[in-house]
Amino acid sequence: MDITLKVNGTACTGSPEARKTLADFLRDDLNLTGTHVGCEHGVCGACTVILDGRAVRSCLMLAVQAAGSEVTTIEGLAVDGELGPLQQAMWDAHSFQCGFCTPGFVMQATAFLGDHPDADEQQIREALSGNICRCTGYQSIIEGVLLAAERNRARSGRP
Amino acid sequence: MTAIAAERYTGASIKRSEDPRILTGAGRYVDDIKLPGMLHAAFARSPLAHARVLSVDVSAARALPGVVAVLTGADLDAMTVPAPDPLLALLGGAGPTPEFTLLATDKVRLVGDPVAIVVAESRYLAEDGCDLVEVEYDDLPPVMSAAFALDPNSPPLFANLGNNIARPHSRHEFGDVSGTFASADRIMDFHIDVHRHQNVPMEGRGCVASYDVDLGLMTVYAATQSVHITRNGIAARLGIDADKVRVLAGDIGGSFGLKIGASREEQAVAAVSRHLGRPVKWVEDRGENLTVSGQAREESFDVRAAISGDGDLLGLDVKMVIDTGAYPGMGTMVPSIVEAMLPGPYQLAALGFESTGAITNKATYVAYRGPWASETFIRERILDVIAKELGLDPVEIRLRNVAQRTDPPASMITGRPLAGVTTKESLERVAQLADYPAFRRRQAEAREQGRYLGIGVATFIEAAPGPRPPGPDGTLGMESMRLRLEEDGSVALFTGQMPHGQSHQTTLAQIAADEFGVPFEQVRVVVGDSDVVPFGLTGGSRSATMAGGVALHGARQLKAKVLDFAAYVMEASARDLVITDGDVWVRGDPATAIPVSEIAQRAASGQFGADVDADLEVEATFDGGQGGWSGGTHCAIVDVDVETGIVKVVRYIAVEDCGALINPAVVEGQIRGGVAQGIGAVLLERSAYAEDGNFQSATFMDYLMPTACDVPRIEIEHLQTVPLDDDVNFRGVGEGGMIVAPPTVVNAIEDALTPFGVRIYEQHLPPGRILELIAAADPGR
Repeated sequence: MDITLKVNGTACTGSPEARKTLADFLRDDLNLTGTHVGCEHGVCGACTVILDGRAVRSCLMLAVQAAGSEVTTIEGLAVDGELGPLQQAMWDAHSFQCGFCTPGFVMQATAFLGDHPDADEQQIREALSGNICRCTGYQSIIEGVLLAAERNRARSGRP
Repeated sequence: MTAIAAERYTGASIKRSEDPRILTGAGRYVDDIKLPGMLHAAFARSPLAHARVLSVDVSAARALPGVVAVLTGADLDAMTVPAPDPLLALLGGAGPTPEFTLLATDKVRLVGDPVAIVVAESRYLAEDGCDLVEVEYDDLPPVMSAAFALDPNSPPLFANLGNNIARPHSRHEFGDVSGTFASADRIMDFHIDVHRHQNVPMEGRGCVASYDVDLGLMTVYAATQSVHITRNGIAARLGIDADKVRVLAGDIGGSFGLKIGASREEQAVAAVSRHLGRPVKWVEDRGENLTVSGQAREESFDVRAAISGDGDLLGLDVKMVIDTGAYPGMGTMVPSIVEAMLPGPYQLAALGFESTGAITNKATYVAYRGPWASETFIRERILDVIAKELGLDPVEIRLRNVAQRTDPPASMITGRPLAGVTTKESLERVAQLADYPAFRRRQAEAREQGRYLGIGVATFIEAAPGPRPPGPDGTLGMESMRLRLEEDGSVALFTGQMPHGQSHQTTLAQIAADEFGVPFEQVRVVVGDSDVVPFGLTGGSRSATMAGGVALHGARQLKAKVLDFAAYVMEASARDLVITDGDVWVRGDPATAIPVSEIAQRAASGQFGADVDADLEVEATFDGGQGGWSGGTHCAIVDVDVETGIVKVVRYIAVEDCGALINPAVVEGQIRGGVAQGIGAVLLERSAYAEDGNFQSATFMDYLMPTACDVPRIEIEHLQTVPLDDDVNFRGVGEGGMIVAPPTVVNAIEDALTPFGVRIYEQHLPPGRILELIAAADPGR
């Protein structure tokens, strides 16, 4: 089935089989391999992308369901090779180790911080509790998100 | 001591050089590899735990459009040769040698055993093909417990063995076991079970095999902890020389001991690529990962403890039975390590240890972060129970029994010297940080309000890499590294380490940058190509000492070589030259500075005769120096809801000693990650089988792992005491968190449940089990 969608600001077309997941479409058809597939049943969150402003699990969506939508993947966050503010904060905070869960956490946290710029630690933990990391024990990830939130507030002149 | 030349980077939490690619989606994991003409494989797998295979009909699968080939166990058997598991081959595992084929031929031995491989134009089509493979089975009784496996009447999984014994019974005694028990004031008996759980890296196993028919060369893109061990496994199975196999690895999405060597599936994929002359990719899905990639830890222990009336642990006599699962793996080796490590940092007068390994219709036992961890669990568990019986405090009984640090060091009764072990200091510091008296007051107040708080401590030592064995021939193994000054002025380190989250591309660069005298960004750490890097393995928490040490010594050797050459071109004495910030200059005369890149370019110009060594490359080795132990004490405070059975870890403290820190943030990440896995092992994770052998935890809805809401902030304090070596005092921290967190948490839970009289002799304590323990201890509830 022919579909058109916008991915990381660029219009894309494709003809995925009806059963192809959005994750596989992004990875195989668009070569955007930054989106990782960790469980294929919607629990681990590694495949999280932002679709029309909401964090979704691209392993639980069919590519054809994304027709006409705007999708942001991990590849879409750094502008002109410059890390986005959350990415930079997560680098500074030593957030990750093996990096496999990373795109899911970054996309989930991007969507969450966008809606909850003043979130506290417990709210962030709850917001990220649908993403599994096996390496870090989460503390460094949470610290990265808190640091990004703090910098965002400082940038916008809020307390 | 020979200090590192300049400690600008070593010891600081330098930001990781891995992160810019990982944070932007530019990492290269095995599933990201895409080769021209690449096909996709999937495996048709057994739904039964134990059965004879009567027939395999692949005709319908072969006829499916898009399917390129379907091969059965017999087909694979005809195109490969028998070969041992490459890790077992490397470590020299002895004992019974079961005979089996790459894919099942005569029988299947666990749910998920591969029966046929389907290769198609896409993974979707390959899985469609698997659905069309028709297998006729004849059920056999499943062997689902070690007890049944050791019953002579259990049906043998492997015909050539005739029984289900993976490791024959053995007994060893250290010290005077019978005398120690005869003279003890008290003898206490315990039965302790450790349940089956597993690695579960976020990226499962996988590979892309690509055979060049013309050159006879096999290239395998792998997810592995060692490109060379994988190469050896593939080459042996294909029956070709190892130099005809090249293994490449990029980023690896975790492993925790799972991805060493080459699994049966990966060997089958390589064989099929050679057969078809096309690249073939296989990446397991989560169901395969949970069901068949491997599991660990299912062990039971009968423990007798000889104790003095005032709380000295005099001796232990332990019987261990390990369930090694279906196929040969790490399990047969684990009891020997448990035996060696069982005394821990404590001074025992005697140890008796016997063990038996059983073969069952479950997933194969694989290495999982601290494979011998059960020794710490049983030791730290019984110390608490003994303390309770004698009316001692858990910290007090440990301080009483811990070996004093003496010169020469005391030795474990099993042989290894306890050189530089700081258990005592870590215990005392943990007790301070946790503020025991204040906690006991809070605990008493909480109990009055119906809240059950508990505190638990446990200690561990981790051979990371372990102390140098006594004697002139004592060695900790050999780590190699090639180092080269490139023409762009960068220092390239070629290491056999295969990082999969450990940040070696950062930490090794920190050390080499300081020692050689270039900015951190000017060091390039090359990993993951069996044609290019020396032999190595990332595992066993060895790399901080071994790879860190060879990076230091190698950088020192390379620097000496570069200075000798620079002395020639700069017409100075090498003794007067220094390298700082990437420049070579005559000490005291900054105007002479020239970039090391210029020196390297001069060397590469080829204008020098045989009398000038212009080859700015060294091959360095390091034997581990004096090595040493990592170790420490952890403390957990838990809140147990006795109505729901839910346990919340509210505070967690780790006081650790891993010697000199290379990168504190990296060290702390390793500790926290291990602790999280240990918390998961106690409160959530279990690889569960039904009595008929069906696997019951094949999804993340059934195999539960800790989330950000289950793991508390983990407070870490580092002790850095007792340097043992002249200059390499970095020690590993990969496994300690996972080793010591389970007894720490279980001890805290038992402490919380003291009013109910609960005693805990197991490790898996999900809410339902907590409620059962309370009910059993207090039938009135």
